[in-house]
Amino acid sequence: MSEPLLKVDDLRVEFDTRHGRVTALDGVSFDLMPAETLGIVGESGCGKSITALSLMGLIPSPPGHVTGGRIEFEGNDIAAMTKRRQRQMRGHDIAMIFQEPMTSLNPVFTIGDQIAEAILLHQDVSRGEARNRSIELLKTVGMPEAERRARAFPHELSGGMRQRVMIAMAISCRPRILIADEPTTALDVTVQAQIFELMRGIQEEFGVAIMLITHDMGAIAEMADRVAVMYAGRIIEEGDADEILDNPLHPYTRGLIGCIPLLGKEARDDGRPPKLAEIPGVVPPLHLLGQGCSFADRCPLVHDRCHREKPLLTGSTHCVACHATQMEAA
Amino acid sequence: MSVQETRRAIKPVSPLREAAQMFCRNRPAIFGTVLLSLIVAAVFYGTFISGADPYEIVWAPQAFPGEAENIPLGTDYMGRDILTGLLKGGGPTIAVGLSAALITVVIGISVGAMAGYFGGWADNALMRFTEFFQVLPALLFAMVLVTLFSPTLTTIAIAIGIVSWPQTARLTRAEFLRIRNLEYVTAARAVGAGNNRIIWRVILPNALPPLIVSATLTIGVAILFEAGLSFLGLGDPNTMSWGLMIGANRSYLLDAWWPVTFPGLAIFLTVLAVSLIGDGLNDAFNPKLRQR
Repeated sequence: MSEPLLKVDDLRVEFDTRHGRVTALDGVSFDLMPAETLGIVGESGCGKSITALSLMGLIPSPPGHVTGGRIEFEGNDIAAMTKRRQRQMRGHDIAMIFQEPMTSLNPVFTIGDQIAEAILLHQDVSRGEARNRSIELLKTVGMPEAERRARAFPHELSGGMRQRVMIAMAISCRPRILIADEPTTALDVTVQAQIFELMRGIQEEFGVAIMLITHDMGAIAEMADRVAVMYAGRIIEEGDADEILDNPLHPYTRGLIGCIPLLGKEARDDGRPPKLAEIPGVVPPLHLLGQGCSFADRCPLVHDRCHREKPLLTGSTHCVACHATQMEAA
Repeated sequence: MSVQETRRAIKPVSPLREAAQMFCRNRPAIFGTVLLSLIVAAVFYGTFISGADPYEIVWAPQAFPGEAENIPLGTDYMGRDILTGLLKGGGPTIAVGLSAALITVVIGISVGAMAGYFGGWADNALMRFTEFFQVLPALLFAMVLVTLFSPTLTTIAIAIGIVSWPQTARLTRAEFLRIRNLEYVTAARAVGAGNNRIIWRVILPNALPPLIVSATLTIGVAILFEAGLSFLGLGDPNTMSWGLMIGANRSYLLDAWWPVTFPGLAIFLTVLAVSLIGDGLNDAFNPKLRQR
């Protein structure tokens, strides 16, 4: 196996809130291999976006603080780099696309200008050359009439088109890693499929590693090679996407997979479609996390130990952090 | 609709061009623009084309308007032609207004942008500094500054700029506080833009509309300030300006109203024109407010 492109080790991020300091990321570790797609999945507020932002060094501070852990890019500790080098890495080595294509483009500049700006930030080319490349990039991401659309302003484009612009901007400097933070959540289902198609095409063409952050197990099934399931700031299950989808070990993951509506599922006795499963309760507020497993209050398999002791992530290829399944295996 | 027509219909329109179209449909704003153009044209004529000397005594003192030929607006207490004074005096007045507004905008935007963008202790320090200027009565402070340094057009413009920038700074800060947390700023940071680029190229262009409006209105306020200072006798005595004309003739107001009234009217019309333009810009940039 080759060296990981990105190695995250025991990352801790804390936030100052009205309730005192809370832990948003609690010892998150994972590797990202070259040209693979890692899915990070979980409910809102579980730390997915904070993970992405901390990789980019974009945690708003204050109130956020990275209080521990290491992030290595190609073997180099990011925290040890100069601010200048860190800034160069953003966009050049690691690029990011955001959840809301409606608001992530600057409304007062044309999209061609914005892509050209991104190119000029990292590459030593003339303005004209950057403009030509921005049109090429728009063609690459499947923008019809790219020359004309380059002169359009963001508000003149649909959500799917804007997300294509964001992708064009993200790949403008051929990054090694593309972080996609819920790239299709704000889009129609049909457009969603097109964007995923585009991302796969780009991965094939440029060999970029994708970190796909989503709450949608369907997106994971479609895109991811490996999956890390997050809950309340921790990774609770990690492994190959197929393995996790077929054989989820953590009760939370099972719950998430149960939430996918499936057309093929057997109908109920009275002929109505199968009832959609749900996970009772909500993610606990971060300031109320106790010493035990953070999922204990919602877990169907809960027992005494879960309230006393945090389960650790164990296993070699398919890892899980759950007392119940670990006891079962032992 | 043919393909050609469809293309024209969805031709990209920049937000600025849209605002310009909105402005052109606003009658008071157009009136203000026309009025200001006429004033500027007249002042331009007086300053660069007409050879008349505003200090020259052309007739008996305090001649009533139209009393003598070629003196349609009468003469002042020394027998100087008021019309010539108006045409010559407008230049310095408008120049002071413009440069004071420019100083206001430059200081205000710099301070406000730093405070709003960096926040924390920088914000605290800069805002306390701003408040220090805000709590001083503006006219009094400007008078002190002008008397400390000799009253020339330059020092007057600087003094007016120094007393008026805090508002612009506060406005800029508020806009920066609002915009810096928007997603496109994070996105700009994610492509590797540094602080400088984000402040000037990402946030400032989006903060401009209210700042343009405020800068326009500042021009009017600065003209009034200059008039006020001159009225109090703190103007530049060697440069004919509308304020100076009012100041010099104010003691004789009860004997002759016209030497004071006409420059006053000129100031009124100029400030009115500038304000109408400012309001028009405000409406153009905030179309939703038009439906009030």
